Amino acid sequence: MTKIEIVNGPIGFFSNDNSRQQDGAELVFNGHVRATEYREKITALEYEQYEGMAKTELTKLSEDTVKKFFIHDLFCKHRIGRVDVGETSLHVVIWSKHRKEGLDAMTWFISELKKRVPIWKWAILNDGTRIPSECSHE
Amino acid sequence: MIKVTIKCFSQVKYAFGKDELNLELETGTSTLELENIIREKAKGKLDTVSLRIALNQKYIPIQTELKDGDEVAFIPPVQGG
Repeated sequence: MTKIEIVNGPIGFFSNDNSRQQDGAELVFNGHVRATEYREKITALEYEQYEGMAKTELTKLSEDTVKKFFIHDLFCKHRIGRVDVGETSLHVVIWSKHRKEGLDAMTWFISELKKRVPIWKWAILNDGTRIPSECSHE
Repeated sequence: MIKVTIKCFSQVKYAFGKDELNLELETGTSTLELENIIREKAKGKLDTVSLRIALNQKYIPIQTELKDGDEVAFIPPVQGG
Protein backbone atom coordinates (compact mmCIF):
# COMPACT_ATOMS: atom_id res chain seq x y z
CA MET A 1 0.00 0.00 0.00
CA THR A 2 1.11 3.54 -0.61
CA LYS A 3 0.02 6.81 0.97
CA ILE A 4 1.05 10.16 -0.49
CA GLU A 5 0.42 13.65 0.81
CA ILE A 6 1.64 17.03 -0.39
CA VAL A 7 1.14 19.44 2.48
CA ASN A 8 1.38 23.20 2.81
CA GLY A 9 2.49 23.58 6.43
CA PRO A 10 4.45 21.61 9.02
CA ILE A 11 4.63 17.86 8.43
CA GLY A 12 2.94 15.62 10.99
CA PHE A 13 4.92 12.38 11.03
CA PHE A 14 3.31 9.01 10.37
CA SER A 15 2.95 7.21 13.67
CA ASN A 16 5.00 4.23 14.71
CA ASP A 17 3.07 1.00 14.13
CA ASN A 18 3.68 -1.93 16.50
CA SER A 19 0.89 -4.06 15.07
CA ARG A 20 2.89 -5.13 11.99
CA GLN A 21 3.83 -8.75 12.49
CA GLN A 22 5.16 -9.42 8.97
CA ASP A 23 7.54 -6.44 8.76
CA GLY A 24 11.00 -6.82 10.25
CA ALA A 25 12.08 -3.37 9.10
CA GLU A 26 10.55 0.08 9.47
CA LEU A 27 12.68 2.72 7.77
CA VAL A 28 12.14 6.44 8.32
CA PHE A 29 13.75 9.21 6.29
CA ASN A 30 13.34 12.90 7.10
CA GLY A 31 14.81 15.49 4.75
CA HIS A 32 15.62 18.86 6.34
CA VAL A 33 16.39 22.32 4.97
CA ARG A 34 20.09 23.18 5.28
CA ALA A 35 21.33 26.64 6.26
CA THR A 36 23.31 27.08 3.04
CA GLU A 37 22.40 26.71 -0.60
CA TYR A 38 25.26 26.86 -3.07
CA ARG A 39 27.46 28.46 -0.39
CA GLU A 40 24.88 31.24 0.19
CA LYS A 41 23.34 31.51 3.64
CA ILE A 42 19.56 31.19 3.50
CA THR A 43 16.72 31.61 5.96
CA ALA A 44 14.32 29.22 4.25
CA LEU A 45 13.45 27.34 1.10
CA GLU A 46 10.15 27.81 -0.63
CA TYR A 47 8.94 24.66 -2.39
CA GLU A 48 6.87 25.11 -5.52
CA GLN A 49 4.86 22.30 -7.13
CA TYR A 50 3.12 21.71 -10.43
CA GLU A 51 -0.23 21.18 -8.79
CA GLY A 52 -1.89 17.96 -9.92
CA MET A 53 1.09 16.56 -11.79
CA ALA A 54 3.32 16.52 -8.68
CA LYS A 55 0.84 14.33 -6.77
CA THR A 56 0.28 12.09 -9.79
CA GLU A 57 4.03 11.55 -10.33
CA LEU A 58 4.69 10.98 -6.64
CA THR A 59 1.88 8.41 -6.47
CA LYS A 60 3.17 6.60 -9.59
CA LEU A 61 6.71 6.60 -8.19
CA SER A 62 5.54 5.13 -4.87
CA GLU A 63 3.66 2.36 -6.63
CA ASP A 64 6.68 1.65 -8.87
CA THR A 65 8.89 1.42 -5.77
CA VAL A 66 6.62 -1.04 -3.97
CA LYS A 67 6.53 -3.29 -7.05
CA LYS A 68 10.25 -3.06 -7.85
CA PHE A 69 11.58 -3.84 -4.36
CA PHE A 70 8.88 -6.13 -2.90
CA ILE A 71 8.37 -3.90 0.11
CA HIS A 72 5.00 -3.90 1.86
CA ASP A 73 4.12 -0.23 2.32
CA LEU A 74 5.52 3.20 1.47
CA PHE A 75 4.11 6.37 3.01
CA CYS A 76 5.40 9.80 1.96
CA LYS A 77 4.68 13.42 2.85
CA HIS A 78 6.28 16.27 0.90
CA ARG A 79 5.94 19.81 2.08
CA ILE A 80 5.40 22.80 -0.21
CA GLY A 81 5.48 26.53 0.54
CA ARG A 82 8.00 28.12 2.89
CA VAL A 83 10.11 25.72 4.96
CA ASP A 84 12.50 27.37 7.41
CA VAL A 85 16.08 26.17 7.92
CA GLY A 86 16.12 23.02 10.06
CA GLU A 87 12.51 22.06 9.37
CA THR A 88 11.42 18.85 7.66
CA SER A 89 10.55 19.08 3.98
CA LEU A 90 10.23 15.36 3.20
CA HIS A 91 9.08 12.43 5.36
CA VAL A 92 9.15 8.85 4.06
CA VAL A 93 8.42 5.60 5.87
CA ILE A 94 8.93 2.17 4.34
CA TRP A 95 7.94 -1.17 5.87
CA SER A 96 9.50 -4.39 4.56
CA LYS A 97 10.14 -7.97 5.62
CA HIS A 98 13.94 -7.47 5.71
CA ARG A 99 16.08 -4.34 5.98
CA LYS A 100 17.93 -4.75 2.66
CA GLU A 101 14.95 -4.34 0.34
CA GLY A 102 13.73 -1.46 2.49
CA LEU A 103 17.07 0.37 2.37
CA ASP A 104 17.41 -0.19 -1.39
CA ALA A 105 13.85 0.99 -1.94
CA MET A 106 14.39 4.14 0.13
CA THR A 107 17.54 5.07 -1.80
CA TRP A 108 15.89 4.49 -5.18
CA PHE A 109 12.66 6.27 -4.24
CA ILE A 110 14.41 9.47 -3.11
CA SER A 111 16.77 9.42 -6.06
CA GLU A 112 13.87 9.07 -8.54
CA LEU A 113 11.83 11.71 -6.70
CA LYS A 114 14.65 14.15 -7.45
CA LYS A 115 14.47 13.29 -11.15
CA ARG A 116 10.79 13.14 -11.98
CA VAL A 117 8.46 14.78 -9.46
CA PRO A 118 7.76 18.38 -10.54
CA ILE A 119 8.67 20.19 -7.35
CA TRP A 120 11.22 23.01 -7.18
CA LYS A 121 13.01 25.03 -4.54
CA TRP A 122 13.37 28.79 -4.26
CA ALA A 123 16.07 30.00 -1.90
CA ILE A 124 15.12 32.80 0.48
CA LEU A 125 18.37 34.62 1.21
CA ASN A 126 19.17 36.47 4.43
CA ASP A 127 18.35 39.83 2.79
CA GLY A 128 14.91 38.52 1.74
CA THR A 129 15.78 38.00 -1.93
CA ARG A 130 13.96 35.04 -3.49
CA ILE A 131 15.79 33.16 -6.26
CA PRO A 132 15.34 29.76 -7.93
CA SER A 133 17.66 27.25 -6.29
CA GLU A 134 20.38 25.91 -8.57
CA CYS A 135 20.62 22.73 -6.55
CA SER A 136 19.45 19.62 -8.45
CA HIS A 137 20.49 15.99 -8.40
CA GLU A 138 19.70 14.59 -11.83
CA MET B 1 -4.80 29.42 -35.02
CA ILE B 2 -4.78 27.66 -31.63
CA LYS B 3 -4.52 28.96 -28.07
CA VAL B 4 -2.31 27.25 -25.49
CA THR B 5 -1.47 27.93 -21.86
CA ILE B 6 2.12 27.63 -20.69
CA LYS B 7 2.60 26.96 -16.99
CA CYS B 8 5.82 28.51 -15.67
CA PHE B 9 7.89 27.12 -12.80
CA SER B 10 11.29 27.77 -11.25
CA GLN B 11 13.73 29.22 -13.78
CA VAL B 12 11.00 29.59 -16.43
CA LYS B 13 8.90 31.62 -13.99
CA TYR B 14 12.00 33.62 -13.04
CA ALA B 15 12.75 34.35 -16.70
CA PHE B 16 9.24 35.64 -17.49
CA GLY B 17 8.14 36.92 -14.07
CA LYS B 18 4.77 35.20 -14.56
CA ASP B 19 2.98 32.03 -13.43
CA GLU B 20 1.62 31.37 -16.89
CA LEU B 21 1.67 32.61 -20.46
CA ASN B 22 -1.21 32.44 -22.92
CA LEU B 23 -0.11 32.24 -26.53
CA GLU B 24 -1.84 32.09 -29.87
CA LEU B 25 0.03 29.86 -32.30
CA GLU B 26 -0.24 28.69 -35.89
CA THR B 27 -2.28 25.50 -36.24
CA GLY B 28 0.15 22.58 -36.50
CA THR B 29 2.77 24.06 -34.15
CA SER B 30 4.71 21.31 -32.35
CA THR B 31 5.96 21.20 -28.77
CA LEU B 32 9.52 21.52 -30.07
CA GLU B 33 8.66 24.64 -32.07
CA LEU B 34 6.96 26.08 -28.99
CA GLU B 35 10.07 25.38 -26.93
CA ASN B 36 12.10 27.37 -29.47
CA ILE B 37 9.59 30.24 -29.26
CA ILE B 38 9.78 30.21 -25.45
CA ARG B 39 13.58 30.16 -25.41
CA GLU B 40 13.64 33.08 -27.86
CA LYS B 41 11.15 35.06 -25.76
CA ALA B 42 13.32 34.47 -22.67
CA LYS B 43 16.14 36.41 -24.38
CA GLY B 44 18.97 34.16 -23.26
CA LYS B 45 17.76 33.55 -19.70
CA LEU B 46 16.98 29.88 -20.44
CA ASP B 47 19.95 29.15 -22.71
CA THR B 48 21.71 26.97 -20.13
CA VAL B 49 18.58 25.40 -18.66
CA SER B 50 17.56 21.91 -19.80
CA LEU B 51 13.81 21.61 -20.18
CA ARG B 52 11.54 18.56 -20.28
CA ILE B 53 8.09 18.97 -21.75
CA ALA B 54 4.83 18.11 -20.02
CA LEU B 55 1.69 18.20 -22.12
CA ASN B 56 -1.58 18.32 -20.20
CA GLN B 57 0.30 17.30 -17.03
CA LYS B 58 2.12 14.30 -18.53
CA TYR B 59 5.75 14.04 -19.58
CA ILE B 60 6.05 13.42 -23.30
CA PRO B 61 9.15 11.76 -24.75
CA ILE B 62 8.82 13.04 -28.33
CA GLN B 63 7.59 16.16 -30.03
CA THR B 64 3.84 16.35 -30.50
CA GLU B 65 1.53 18.60 -32.46
CA LEU B 66 -0.28 20.99 -30.15
CA LYS B 67 -4.05 21.29 -30.04
CA ASP B 68 -6.31 24.19 -29.12
CA GLY B 69 -6.63 24.45 -25.32
CA ASP B 70 -3.50 22.44 -24.49
CA GLU B 71 -1.64 23.08 -21.24
CA VAL B 72 2.12 22.94 -21.65
CA ALA B 73 4.88 23.13 -19.06
CA PHE B 74 8.59 23.35 -19.82
CA ILE B 75 10.00 21.56 -16.81
CA PRO B 76 13.43 22.71 -15.54
CA PRO B 77 15.46 20.14 -13.53
CA VAL B 78 13.27 19.20 -10.57
CA GLN B 79 14.45 19.61 -6.98
CA GLY B 80 12.10 17.87 -4.59
CA GLY B 81 13.24 16.40 -1.31
